[in-house]
Amino acid sequence: MSVVVANRLSKMYQVAEKEPGLAGTLRHFVARRYKQIAAVREVSFELGEGEIVGFLGPNGAGKTTTLKMLTGLLYPTSGRAQVLGYVPHERRSGFLKQITLVMGNKAQLIWDLPVLDTLRVNAAVYEIPEVEYKKRVAQFAEMLAIEDILTQPVRKLSLGQRMKAELLASLLHHPRVLFLDEPTLGLDVNAQVAVRDFVRSYARERGATVLLTSHYMADIEALAERVILIHEGRLLFDGGLETLLDRFAPYKEVRLDLAEPAPAGAFDAFGEGVDFEGRSVRLLVTKERLTGVVAALLERFEVRDLTVDEPPLEEVIGRIFAAGAV
Amino acid sequence: MSALTAKMRTLLSVYYAYMLEYRAEIVFWVLGGLVPFFFMAAWSEAARQGHTAYTPGEYERYFFAVFIARQLAIVWANWTFSDWVRTGKLSFHLLQPLDPAWRILADHAAERGVRLPMLALIGLVFALLFPGALVWPGWAPLLLGLAASTLAFLLSFLVAYSVGLLSFWFEDATEIFELWYVLMLFFSGMLAPLSLYPEAVQRAVYYTPFPHLVYLPASYWSGLEPADPRGFAVLGFWALVFFAVARLLWRAGRRRFSAMGA
Repeated sequence: MSVVVANRLSKMYQVAEKEPGLAGTLRHFVARRYKQIAAVREVSFELGEGEIVGFLGPNGAGKTTTLKMLTGLLYPTSGRAQVLGYVPHERRSGFLKQITLVMGNKAQLIWDLPVLDTLRVNAAVYEIPEVEYKKRVAQFAEMLAIEDILTQPVRKLSLGQRMKAELLASLLHHPRVLFLDEPTLGLDVNAQVAVRDFVRSYARERGATVLLTSHYMADIEALAERVILIHEGRLLFDGGLETLLDRFAPYKEVRLDLAEPAPAGAFDAFGEGVDFEGRSVRLLVTKERLTGVVAALLERFEVRDLTVDEPPLEEVIGRIFAAGAV
Repeated sequence: MSALTAKMRTLLSVYYAYMLEYRAEIVFWVLGGLVPFFFMAAWSEAARQGHTAYTPGEYERYFFAVFIARQLAIVWANWTFSDWVRTGKLSFHLLQPLDPAWRILADHAAERGVRLPMLALIGLVFALLFPGALVWPGWAPLLLGLAASTLAFLLSFLVAYSVGLLSFWFEDATEIFELWYVLMLFFSGMLAPLSLYPEAVQRAVYYTPFPHLVYLPASYWSGLEPADPRGFAVLGFWALVFFAVARLLWRAGRRRFSAMGA
């Protein structure tokens, strides 16, 4: 049975348009003009129990709006959202107790008080018994390695510590469905890894369903086997990460370490996206041409080292969105 | 203990800690509410010159009661809710199984806990400056005054919260509450005891909430004029009206929430 259902989900925003200057201000005052902006257009997908799905798209694609409709913050303009059998925007207690939304750019922690105070409020709001609350805090704090910061005011914490505390506060009630919107935004590599590991452990232990947006493809690669691509409010792709790469990344990344510097433009004929710096060269070669190109490169240049790998996911996604054709 | 009581107890203790962080700000806020004492000085002086119906001591007692009644009924729910809508903070509260109004109510109640010791201190200074002005009103008037003050607070809270809910439609609706404040300033007994107002004005505003918000508790505490217990019914009626208004605005406004900034 599907845990999350988005069925032809759409969201339109009405935005007032105003010209600059005094004339524009007066016109805006007497005859206000509005523009309809489609943030999400007829997006459909389903998530099963325990699935971790990456939700990808450039800025303004409609990812966050979709998450807000699925968590009940926004009413859909049309279409149907259903999570755990509930209609999200009705905000039934049974629904709210089983979901969470973590936003990397917003904090629910009470700024001037220690983390534990926010946790106490959440424990009360979600009706978690005292013994269970303490057990969960101890367990999560250990997993996130933040035991020693729980009594410090939130304003004194680093961004990484705050995000970990935010995750603790958001998962304290053991939600079955996690909506994570850029949970590693702005974090350093170590903190990103810690957050990723925590989400993975939590989801595995509790069989939770996760819908995750991130600009860091490492998050998606580490956590998700399935990805949903959205662009300009429309769903472009829904399937396995491998399938996405096979279909939309029909090339390999070839890296060369040359013995001698080569003239500029020497590699243009061999592949796309040539990145040339001194003796290091990186280029993308289609899979069909790969053998021939590698042989030609080895014959034409004095090569110290040569590696062939999958291109970074960021680049694949970037190319898909740039081409606009999926 | 019901689930809601347990939630409110925790919210109160956490928000009390939060308000203590802002104690210096609350001191200035309390000092900003000393306005009734300026009116007290003016009316006492007029009484010394024999121009009014009451003695200087009676004015001192009355305006001290007005000061306390006003301090206990101060609200800012309009500002808080509007801020939540504008900045998207409301999103976090919408995600939790608790109506956001309870948080704001707990916030106000916890602030009273920080404000009360300051009021006690001001009362002490007042008693020293105006010996004999403060007299024990008796248990019944004290408790009835507290009940009236609590009801006045609840009504003010519901009005301010309703104004805050208008932020679903307007970018910033907080200033609409200023209209409420102006009407209260004129018709609640903050400027002068209402018994000094013309009969026609007293009759015209009687069924509005304003004459009972401050004057009712102040009458119980100061004993200047016999308190009119029908004021409870008027306050209760308007509290029910604004409770219904707040629920309607909440239901209609939620559809418009765009969760911007979050």
